[in-house]
Amino acid sequence: MYNVTVERRENQFFITYDNNEYTVIATELKPGQLSIQLGDRLIKSIISQGDDNKFVFIDGSIFKVKRIELTGRKTTEKKEGNLHSPISGTVVSCKVKEGSPVKKDDVILIIEAMKMEYLIRAPYDGVIKKTYFKEKDQIEIGQLTAEIQKKEDEDGNH
Amino acid sequence: MFKKVLIANRGEIAVRIIKACQEMGIRTVAVYSEVDKNAPHVQIADESINLGDPTPSESYLNIAKIIENATKVHAEAIHPGYGFLAENPDFAKACTDTGITFIGPTPEVIRLMGDKIEAKKTIAHADVPVIPGYNGVRQDLSTLLKEGKKIGFPLLVKATAGGGGKGMRIVHAESELEQSIESAKREAKSAFGNDSVFLEQYIDKPRHIEFQILADQHGQVIHLFERECSIQRRHQKIIEETPSPMMTPKLRETMGKAAVAAATTVGYTNAGTIEFMVDGKQNFYFMEMNTRLQVEHPITEATTGIDLVKWQLRIASGMELTMKQKDLTQRGHALECRIYAEDPSNGFLPSIGTLEKVDLPNGPNIRNDTGVETHFHVSPYYDPMLAKLTVNTENREESINKMIWALSHYVVLGVTTNISFLKKVLDHSEFRKGNITTHFINDYFHDWLVTKEGLPLDALIALAVYDSLHTQRQEVVRYKEADPHSPWQHVGRWRMGV
Repeated sequence: MYNVTVERRENQFFITYDNNEYTVIATELKPGQLSIQLGDRLIKSIISQGDDNKFVFIDGSIFKVKRIELTGRKTTEKKEGNLHSPISGTVVSCKVKEGSPVKKDDVILIIEAMKMEYLIRAPYDGVIKKTYFKEKDQIEIGQLTAEIQKKEDEDGNH
Repeated sequence: MFKKVLIANRGEIAVRIIKACQEMGIRTVAVYSEVDKNAPHVQIADESINLGDPTPSESYLNIAKIIENATKVHAEAIHPGYGFLAENPDFAKACTDTGITFIGPTPEVIRLMGDKIEAKKTIAHADVPVIPGYNGVRQDLSTLLKEGKKIGFPLLVKATAGGGGKGMRIVHAESELEQSIESAKREAKSAFGNDSVFLEQYIDKPRHIEFQILADQHGQVIHLFERECSIQRRHQKIIEETPSPMMTPKLRETMGKAAVAAATTVGYTNAGTIEFMVDGKQNFYFMEMNTRLQVEHPITEATTGIDLVKWQLRIASGMELTMKQKDLTQRGHALECRIYAEDPSNGFLPSIGTLEKVDLPNGPNIRNDTGVETHFHVSPYYDPMLAKLTVNTENREESINKMIWALSHYVVLGVTTNISFLKKVLDHSEFRKGNITTHFINDYFHDWLVTKEGLPLDALIALAVYDSLHTQRQEVVRYKEADPHSPWQHVGRWRMGV
C-alpha cells in the first residue's frame, strides 16, 4: 500500500510520499502520456485506465495498480490456500465428494482453459465440506472451487 | 501464381501472410469469428468472411464452413498459418478434394508426421537418431505403466497427436505415472480429439534445436540452418534465436544433413521444421516434424534474407527452388520474443482484457509481428500470444542488448504481459553466456514475481499527476474553496498487484 498526496497549481504538482515532498512540472503530451520534470530529471510515463485497474508504463516496466478509496479501506481477505480458480474455464472433472477426506496436494478439481489443464489441489489435509462445481460447469476466475474442513482445526493444534 | 488466397487463421500470422500475398499481387481473403470482426487481420485483407460463433470448433476449426466459403469466393489456395487447421490432414484433404491448393505438404505427409509414433519409426529408417521410448499402439493403462517402468524415470508422457506442450507430462517417479498418463490423455483428447500417448526417456540438460526446411515439388530439399528454442515455459517456446550459442560448424552440417534426410524420406514439400533434442554431449535426437510454418520463422528470415511465406506460396504454385544448399549463408544473429497476455508471476496464466494502449518499439532491424492494436479485446477463446518481437544484429550480445532496449519501449497496457519477465530472462548471466536448456525457466525463475521490487517512486509521481489531471477540475476548485482540508490532500493511495 502506498500513501500519496497531491496538490495541483496549474501545471505544478506538489506530491508527498513517505515524508518526502516532490515538486514537479507535468504535461500530458497525448492522452495518458505524461512528461514530468522532477528537478533536473525527466520522468516519462504512459498510464491507462482499465475497468478496475490502472496500468503504468515507466522505464520499461509495467505496473498494475488499484486506487483504494479511503472510505472503503478494508483489506481484502486473504484467499485461503489455493482453492479459488486461477482462471476462467470449463470444469473437466471434480475429483472429490462432499464429506470425503483429502490429503494435501490431492487433486480436487480439473479446469480446462485455452486447451490447457489447471489442477486445483488441496492446500492441506482435511475433509471436503462443500464442492461448488461439477463436470462441464463454467467457472470464473477467483471463484471458490470447494471448501475443506482443515484437519488441524479439529485437533485445535493451530 | 495464385490470384486469390484465403487465410484460414487469425492474429499476427494471418496479418503476416496477408502482407506477403499482397506484396506478390495476390488478392487475400480473411476469415474471422464474431469477436474478431474488427481485428487487424480483417482490416488489412482485401475481402473477409464472417465465420460466426467464436468457439474455435465453430469458426477457425470448422473445415466445412471454411471450404464452403473459399469455394464461394473462388479462392485458389488456402494458407492455414500455424495452429488451428495447419496440421490437420483432413483439412488438407478437403482442400485438395475441392480443387483448392492447400499451402503446405500433402495430406498423407501431414497424417504421417502428425502421428508422433509413426513419424519416429519412419525417420529412424533414414538413419536419423531417435530417443528410446514406448511408441506402441497398445494404449491401455497397464501396458503404459509396464512400459514406463521399463524406460525408467524421469520420463515424458506425450500426446501422439500433440504439439505446443499440450498433453505432455514429465514424470519423476513411478508413483506419479498413473495420474500423469490419465491427465495427459484427457488433455490430448480435448485438444486434439485423440487421447493416444507415447512415453520416452527424459534427456538431461536438453536443448531444443530445430532446422528449417524448404522442399519444392520437384525433389529439391534445402535447410535454412538451426533455431535454438530452449527457453520455454509450460513446454511452449518464449524466446528463440539463431544461430544457437552451442552450435559448431561441424554439428550444424551433420544435423542439417539429418534434417534434409528426414524431410526427403517422407517426400516432404513446402516449409517444415525438424525438431531435435540435443543433450549436454552434443548427441541429437529427432523429436518431431512440424508440417507448417513455425511461429519463430522470422529469425530465420532475418539471418538468411529469405522470405519463407513467399516461398510457401511459390512452392505451392509449383515453382522450383532457385537457391541451392551451398549458396545459403547465415549472417549475424537474430532473436525473437513472444509477447503473451499472461502473468509470469502467477504460473503464466492467461490474462484477459481490453488493450487500453499499444505502442510498439521501432528502429533499425526491429521487426514487429502483431495481430492486436489499441482497444483490441483479448478474449479467452484463443491463444494468448499477442505479438512477436524480432531483432537482428552482428552478434548475440548485441541482439540481447537490442532486444532489452526494444522490450523497454514496448507499451501494451490493459492486460498483464510477460514483457518484464522476458527482459529478466535475457539479462540473466547464464542466458547471456548461452548456458541454456529447456529447464532454464524452471531452474532460474521458478518463484519469480514481478511485484518483488515494489512500485518505484517515479511511478507513484506519475500516478499522482495522472489522477490529479483526470479528476474534474471544476470539482477541485469548489472543494478547495469550500474546504481547506480538501480531499486532494488524500487523493492518491495505491495498492500494487491485485
